[in-house]
Order: sequence, then structure tokens, then C-alpha cells
Amino acid sequence: MTIDYLQIIFLLEAVIFLTIVFMHLVHKNSSAISLYAFQSLIVSVLMFGSALKEASWLLAFVAILMFAVKVLVAPHFFKKLVHSNQLKFSSSTYLNGPLTLVMVAALTGLTYSSYFYPLTILAEKNQNALLLSVAMILVSVFLIINRKGILSQMIGILSLENAIVSFAFLSGLEAVPSMQLGIIFDILVWVIIASVFATMIYKKFGTLDSTTMKNLKEE
Amino acid sequence: MALSIIIITLVGAFILSSLVKKKREILSWIASSASVIELVATLVVVYQVSQNGIYALNSYLAVDQLGAILILIVSVIGLAASWYSNSYLQIEVAHEVIGFRRVKQYFLLLHLFILAMFFAIVTTNPILMWISIEATTLSTAFLISFYGKPAAIEAAWKYLMINSVGLLLGFFGTLLFFYPSLNASFHELISWQVILDNVYGFDPFVAKIAFIFVLIGYGTKVGLVPMHTWLPDAHSKAPVPISSLLSGVLLNVAFLAVLRFKVITDLAVGAEFTQKLLILFGLLSVLVPAFIIFTQKNYKRLLAYSSIEHMGIAALGFGFGGAGSFAALLHMVYHSLSKSILFLSSGNIFLRYGSTKIKNVQGVLKTLPVTGGLFIIGFLAITGMPPFGIFLTEFSIMAAGIKAHPLIVAISLLALTLVFVGFLKQLTAMMFGEADKEIKKGEAGKGTLLPIIVLVIILVVASFYIPAVLKSLITSATLAY
Repeated sequence: MTIDYLQIIFLLEAVIFLTIVFMHLVHKNSSAISLYAFQSLIVSVLMFGSALKEASWLLAFVAILMFAVKVLVAPHFFKKLVHSNQLKFSSSTYLNGPLTLVMVAALTGLTYSSYFYPLTILAEKNQNALLLSVAMILVSVFLIINRKGILSQMIGILSLENAIVSFAFLSGLEAVPSMQLGIIFDILVWVIIASVFATMIYKKFGTLDSTTMKNLKEE
Repeated sequence: MALSIIIITLVGAFILSSLVKKKREILSWIASSASVIELVATLVVVYQVSQNGIYALNSYLAVDQLGAILILIVSVIGLAASWYSNSYLQIEVAHEVIGFRRVKQYFLLLHLFILAMFFAIVTTNPILMWISIEATTLSTAFLISFYGKPAAIEAAWKYLMINSVGLLLGFFGTLLFFYPSLNASFHELISWQVILDNVYGFDPFVAKIAFIFVLIGYGTKVGLVPMHTWLPDAHSKAPVPISSLLSGVLLNVAFLAVLRFKVITDLAVGAEFTQKLLILFGLLSVLVPAFIIFTQKNYKRLLAYSSIEHMGIAALGFGFGGAGSFAALLHMVYHSLSKSILFLSSGNIFLRYGSTKIKNVQGVLKTLPVTGGLFIIGFLAITGMPPFGIFLTEFSIMAAGIKAHPLIVAISLLALTLVFVGFLKQLTAMMFGEADKEIKKGEAGKGTLLPIIVLVIILVVASFYIPAVLKSLITSATLAY
């Protein structure tokens, strides 16, 4: 592995990380969907790179399938949801913009602290990128918690999955194609089911703002 | 062969059910027949495991002692739930609450749900187990929102989101467990055995981080506090046969995942680390529901909180180790039976009273004398009254921990006392008094009673006499886990 290659990998990881940060900041649903599609595109490229490195046809097939499901199918479902329900803007966040950024910075700082540092033994040559992928996991979980909109929460979950896949890539755990196939199938089913639920919620509640669902609190 | 029969039967039942166009009775018949075949095949598997230690179909599907105990629970509760579903749905259709399309959807998802649980238990691969447990979430989400009411949809959404996040964190933990085995099994599915064989190359810090993520991830599915928030909503909104499977079976299946990773972590860093974590989560899971049960207003939510409490007791048992682990495994068996009795009985109460609110349910013993009696038996069993098995298991778990963790045991005992008092308070309010005049007296039919009576008989017999096969399986599983 040359230094240039490592730098490219770190750059791509940094771009994925930035997509999650921007997901925290954007207001339009369509922007969040585009960011997710772009993020997934980079993850698919990383997977394809791994296929070339391993000279594995099966891994290349997985990368193509990943591209199809995450870059084409999932964003298509989400866009359909936005158009059919005329959801131009996503609902608000629990924390305001500056506080959200402070939390993102704090979570990122935490992953680069001595607490998570021992994890770098999984990828000694790519320590910074690996810790960045751990930061992505935490920041994605924060996205799910901080957003009130159901669509944003769904994108947050898929972003979390992308963060874990990129962690697997950096630590060399991605090269088990059968495992990847199962996960991609699972993601596909999850996207379909979550979209059906989002439609059901919109029909019942007239909005995709999760804070409007208070039926359980009344019991 | 027997394992193939179970899988073929479940897949076959799903396909056949999807072909049924009009008759609800055919769907019921398929479900009941499939459940009977599954139970018979499971008994064969259990016997084989008790004789040979392991029953393997191939390198991907195998049943060990703990797996045998769990597939037995799936089959027994699965049969009771399918049997009860027939009468329950018949009444719901007669009341025009649901139509044929919903009944068909119900049975299709029920077959998928049971198949996913079987697969999660018998697969030798941690990722396939993860996918199977995720599949249980996806199949049951629609069962929780079955009635299509806003509260049910909200509960299902909460269930889907919280469990998806939890399971993704569990997946991250699972990946970390793969690290030492990568070179050993490149391009192959990494099995539990491969991970165990390579455990000595596992960095202790990574092993600890991995187990924390796995415990948080699968612990969400088990319903351990503080990841439990989805459970009372989901278990209370699902149709009762599904609630009995969610509480009585699925929680145990998710616990199996935690136990499988516990074994690996114990070898990498010693047992103390996982035991401390299990005791911590176990204590929280016993303590928090104890207060909520006392003030609970909804009897199905009451049962759901009781499930959290019992998973907490099992976690304490595994945390204490030794005799505590044996008792915890037995506790899972007794809890499955007792909780299914309670949930199915609560179904009869719901069918008659049309409400799950405790204030709307009075005089059950007069209105539904048999159901009332069965519910009281379930209450006595679940709160650990002698001679029921849970008394023995709770006593054994506390005895296993008293020497090393006296304070934990003292707090747990206080919590168990509070649970008993709280449950008794709610039970008294429901069982005695006078029901509204509009509520008719009499049971809904034999079909809604017989499955519960059979479960009561099994529970009572198992409380006095544990069959040698089951005892040997639990002993072997305790030694392994």
C-alpha cells in the first residue's frame, strides 16, 4: 500500500464524514437524499477498489449491487416519498445549528481521544481514517436522535450503515462477499419497509414529524 | 434431516398460505399443521442433541445444547400461538375488526417470523444470525401495526427505528469480533467456531469494545434497560399471539446472541468483564420495571414490563455465573411458558372487554371464570410463587449471587417484592368487582382456552419434574456458556 493510496482513502473518508455533517445542517429533504446518494457512491467506489485489489469478481458484483441499492434504489424510494407527500422541507432538529455542530465536534473529538485510540490496531497504516469512520458512526447515531423528521431518521440509519461498512473496509473486514450480499439484501428490505411505514404515518398523522406522534404517551 | 423438515415446513407453510385466495380456515389449518410438524421435528433434534452434543445439517446450520433448548421454546410457544391465533382471528373477523386480507397477511408474517427465529438459532454464522434477528424486526413490524390504529403504527415505527439502530450497533460489535479470524477464514463465512479457535489473537481492548457494542445492540432487542423503551409499546400493540411470541420467545433468541459473544469475550478478557456488565444491565432491568408495574394502567403493558424484569433476572443469573447460569437458562424456559399463558389469557380478556386499560376491566372471575383462573395461575407463576418453577430459579439466581454481590441481591429482592405487590394490586382490580352490565358473561370458545390450558399443564409439570433430556441440555449449555 503506497502513501498516495492511503491519502486518497483518507480523503474519501473525510468526504463521507462531511456528507454526514452536512446532513445535520441541511433543511431540504431532497438535499439530505442527495447527500446520502453521494455518500453511498463513495462507499461503493471504496468497495469496488477493494474488489480490484483482491481481484475478486464476487466482490465486484457486491460493489455493483451496493451501488444499485444504495445509490439508485434507496434514493428513488425516498424521492418518491417526498414527491407523493409533497415534503419539501424536513422538520426541525432538537438542538439548533450551532449546538448541533458543537455536538458533532465533541463526538469527533471523543473518537480521537485515548479512549478509542487502541482501536487503531485494526488498521495501523490508516489510523486517522479508521477513527474518522468511528466518528461517522457516532455522528450518524446523533443525526437519528437529533432530527425530528422521519425521513431524516431513515437517512440517518442508512448513513450509520454506510459508516460501519467504511469501518469494515478500512479494517480489512469487507472482503467477505457473502456477508456483504446478506447485508445489502437486508438494507433493501429495510428501505422498502421503512418507506411503507413512512407512507402509513403520513396518511394517519398528516405529517412526517415524529414529534406529532403522541398516541402512546396518552396511555 | 429433522432440521431440514423444520425449515422446509416453514417455507412451505409460507408459500401455501400465499396461494390461499378466500378461505380463512385453510390458512388456520396450514399454520396449525406446520406447527405440529415443527414441534415433532424439533423433538427429534432435541433428542439427537441430548445424545450427541450437537446436531449439524451442514457446516452452516447446526444446533448445540443451548440452541436445542431455544428451538424447543420456539416450537412449543409457536404451536400454542398458532393454535390460539385460529380462534382469536376467527372472533376478530366475526366482529368485523379485520378481513380476510389481514388474516392472510397475519399468517404469512407469522411463518416468516418463526422461520427467522429458527434460523437465528441454528445458523453457525454470526452475520447470518444478525440478518435473521433483523428479519424478525422487519417481519414483526407489520404485525405490531396489524390493527392499523395510529398508536399501533407509532409503536411499530418506534420498534423499527430503535431496533434497527440497536442492531446496527450490534453489527459493528460483530465485525470487531471477526478481526482475529480474518486470516483464518478469508472469503468464507466466519463461524462461531472459527472465532473461538482464533480468540487468543483477540486484543483485549477490542474484545471489550466489541462486547459493549454487541450488548447494547442485541440488548436492545432483549429489552434490557435503558434500551427497552420500544418494548412495552410494541408488545402491547401487537395481537396477543404475537405478543406471546415476542415476549416469550424472541427476547430469548436475542439473548442467545449476547451469550454466544459472551463466551468469546470471556476467553479473550476473562469472565469478570462480561459478568459485571450483565449484572449492571440486569439490575437496571429488574429495578425500573418494578416501579412502573406498580403504577401501570394497561394490563398488556404490565405484562411487557414484566418481560423486561425477567430478562433482567436472567441477565443477573448469567452475571453471577455458575449455578446462576443454570438457573437463568431454566428461568428463560419458565418465563416463556408463564408469559405466554398471561398474554394469551389477556387476549381472552381483550376479546370480551374490548379494552386493555385496567380501569375498564373488572370482575374477570365472574365474566370469564376459566380465563380468570388461568390468568391468576400465570400471575402466581410469573411473580415467583411456589410451587412454580420461577420461584426455584429466582431463588437459585439470588443464592448464586448473595456471597459475591450481597447488595445487588438485596436490591433485586426488594424489586421483586415490589413487582409482586404491584402486580397483585393490578390483578385484584381486574379479577374482582363487578363488570359493566353491557359485558356478556362466558368464554369465547374452547379454541381460546385449550392452548392456554395445555401451556399451564406443561408449566406445572415442568415446575415439579424437569425431564432428564432437558436437564442434561441445560447442564451442558451452562458448562458451555
